[in-house]
Amino acid sequence: MPDQTNTAVPAWELRNLTKRFAGIVANESVSLSLERGQIHGLLGENGCGKSTLIKMMMGVHQPSAGEILRDGHPVTIAGPTAARAAGLAAVFQEFSLVPTLTVAENIWLGNLPGHRARVDWQTMRDSATEVMARLAVAIDPEAIVADLSVADQQLVEIAKAIATDASMLILDEPTTALGLEEIKDLHRILRKLAAQDKAILYISHRLDEVEELVDCVTVLKDGRVVSTAAETEVSVDAFVAAMIGEISNHYPKVDNVREEVLLEAKGLRTANRVQDVSFNVHAGEVFGLGGVLGSGRTEIARALFGVDRLLAGEVKVDGQTLRLRSPADAVAAGIALVPENRKVDGLFFNFQGQPNMSISKLARLGSPAAMSLRTEERLTHELYDRLEVSASAKDRLVGLLSGGNQQKIVIGRWLFAGARVFVLDEPTQGIDVGARAAVYTLINELTAAGHAVVLISSDDNELLAMSDRIGIVNHGRLVDIRAASDVRKSDLVRASSEQETAA
Amino acid sequence: MNALLRSPIIAPLAALLIVTAIAALTTPRFLDTGNLSNLALQVSIVAIVAIGSTFVILIAGIDLSPGSAIALLTMIFAISVKFQGIPLPIAILLTIALGAGLGAFNGFLTAYLRIPAFITTLAALSAFRGMAFLFNNGSPVFSVHDALEGIFYGTFLGLPLPLYYLIVLYAAAWYVLRYTAFGRAVYAVGGNPNAAELSGLKVRRIQFFAFMIAGAMAGIGAVLMAARLNSGSPNYGVGLELSAIAAAVIGGASLAGGRGNIINTLIGALTIVIVQNALNLNAVPTSVQTIVLGAIIVTAVGLDMWRNEIGNVLHGLAVTRPKS
Repeated sequence: MPDQTNTAVPAWELRNLTKRFAGIVANESVSLSLERGQIHGLLGENGCGKSTLIKMMMGVHQPSAGEILRDGHPVTIAGPTAARAAGLAAVFQEFSLVPTLTVAENIWLGNLPGHRARVDWQTMRDSATEVMARLAVAIDPEAIVADLSVADQQLVEIAKAIATDASMLILDEPTTALGLEEIKDLHRILRKLAAQDKAILYISHRLDEVEELVDCVTVLKDGRVVSTAAETEVSVDAFVAAMIGEISNHYPKVDNVREEVLLEAKGLRTANRVQDVSFNVHAGEVFGLGGVLGSGRTEIARALFGVDRLLAGEVKVDGQTLRLRSPADAVAAGIALVPENRKVDGLFFNFQGQPNMSISKLARLGSPAAMSLRTEERLTHELYDRLEVSASAKDRLVGLLSGGNQQKIVIGRWLFAGARVFVLDEPTQGIDVGARAAVYTLINELTAAGHAVVLISSDDNELLAMSDRIGIVNHGRLVDIRAASDVRKSDLVRASSEQETAA
Repeated sequence: MNALLRSPIIAPLAALLIVTAIAALTTPRFLDTGNLSNLALQVSIVAIVAIGSTFVILIAGIDLSPGSAIALLTMIFAISVKFQGIPLPIAILLTIALGAGLGAFNGFLTAYLRIPAFITTLAALSAFRGMAFLFNNGSPVFSVHDALEGIFYGTFLGLPLPLYYLIVLYAAAWYVLRYTAFGRAVYAVGGNPNAAELSGLKVRRIQFFAFMIAGAMAGIGAVLMAARLNSGSPNYGVGLELSAIAAAVIGGASLAGGRGNIINTLIGALTIVIVQNALNLNAVPTSVQTIVLGAIIVTAVGLDMWRNEIGNVLHGLAVTRPKS
């Protein structure tokens, strides 16, 4: 819905923006037009320069060349405060909320209404309520942020961003932590904001959702615009083609299911909401767990891995009942967990890649009292090659690696440990298209080798395409198990709406 | 990995060299052989205790108790040798074991009962010294044993014995941290306890053992302290925990855990002791010396914080390309 009165001059325009860091070009002559009332998608693999571009718009970095125009006039954005004053607001992947304060306090933090040192609480609450009303969401301004769900916190972030009457809202990967319904909600809100004449720049890895949401798309590659808004067709294949340069089958599923059962879960129950969960996974099979965020999928993974104690039920690997008192028991039994949040639960940021991979099975390096670092070097480099970790990533602290390489290293840890049952919780979250393809290929390798995979994913296309069978999870229960080919996307959606009616 | 465990030695080493150069230039007697051997004696106790502090800091803990533990242990050691007639070698082993026990107590409270290390060891700082005063009516025990001073003042091949203790203990700590599964786990647990748990490590056990090692080091420190003055006293070791922590931090150990290097801790301990020694030789009063130690600690911890800041800036520059 383009603005009728002002089509000639876009609300915001980037003209030939270039940014160099010590000789490295992060952005090369990037031009974008951001119209009022439009949701503009920005796509590109990790390292393509999206973050730098946003940081220039938000005044964190100053452009080396080029200019930023507001309503056709060049503006200089000296810093984040200037950016806000100019009407730019950004919601980043990492939340910037203070968890111990209320929603209203967070929204107005740094800009508290009142006179001198005295805060006018009434005005603050009222205006927070008004902002929430503009978003048409029902979040109590008096609620403490830490008590809110991740999705609601995300909405508070957006409320905070629009509270200052920004003319442009930038969202950097806003859906990584959200479930299907919550994403729909967010999209509804963004459309509403667009209808209120805001320009919106929307950055996401999830091609499918961009297709549904945005009005136009710009694709960045190696810091340059490779496909402008006008040229790009709003379709997944077109995005993939522009981003990686070729149209590929991005779900290379191979059927490797064998006869024998490798993992058996029987009547699992934990204090963390898992109720009477039973399923088998065959050797070579990918068993998908579907359902919305918060349905209990991650909790089932935690139960399998010995993180949450089993109150009832048993887990068998290869017919042997496990004594699962801790993750150490699960690891010893050959179970692997690739956690949902690799930064919090997966990686050792004080280590480079090699010790990150060897940590679960140091016994492979020799006696515990005399490890061979040479053996470690050799074994982990074999894994690097197998996982196609980029050469520059090999001798760096893992914090400096791309999401894709980080995830490869977490998966590499379990290959190193010789695990046989792989529980993958959102394995492709926040990684680029190339690394995704590598993860899918790896899943195929695992099943070809006769390993069992339990796949949890909020990306429905991925879940349906990569699984052999799917169990639908609702309120910590496994409500249905079907062959993946018999499950439609709408079934997953329905499972979630049923949950809403139940709740 | 190699690069990690070698970890930047340059900064602490440069600091040490600068401090040494200043001391040598401003203090005529600093480079006398007598003073240098005196330095080795001075640094030995701090440096040995600092091994323990480093292990605890590596698992993202902190140990405030070794000074008080040493006071308590010298009293028990002195009494058991002088009044109970326990043979010296056995009493030494018992003291080290008891030190490990005190550390294990801190470790139990911290790792298994989940009381923050700062609190448990602050409580121990108070309680251990209180216990030390319960012995011998709170009076020091002098002239413990004729052979005792030899442990500290003896020489081998013309070099003071404590130098050998240092070399052996530091070599052992270096080996443990670099070549054993436990050492690797120490770094992992300090770097990310969640990930360590989910990688199958027994996180609490590792934390427990780190505190126990710190206790054992305090035990060795107590024996040397008692040997140095041939006595036990409830007033020994005041402020020693600060010097030990400062040694680790000056050596670049991060109080956030998971980062640090034992050889750098030795460099840190040397730096502190050389500063103290130079101030001593220049007849700077103790009051000023403690102020200087305070300044060194603030600077070192400040550098630890800035290092992250500087790291972030560099990281920001480096990361703009790999991560969009």
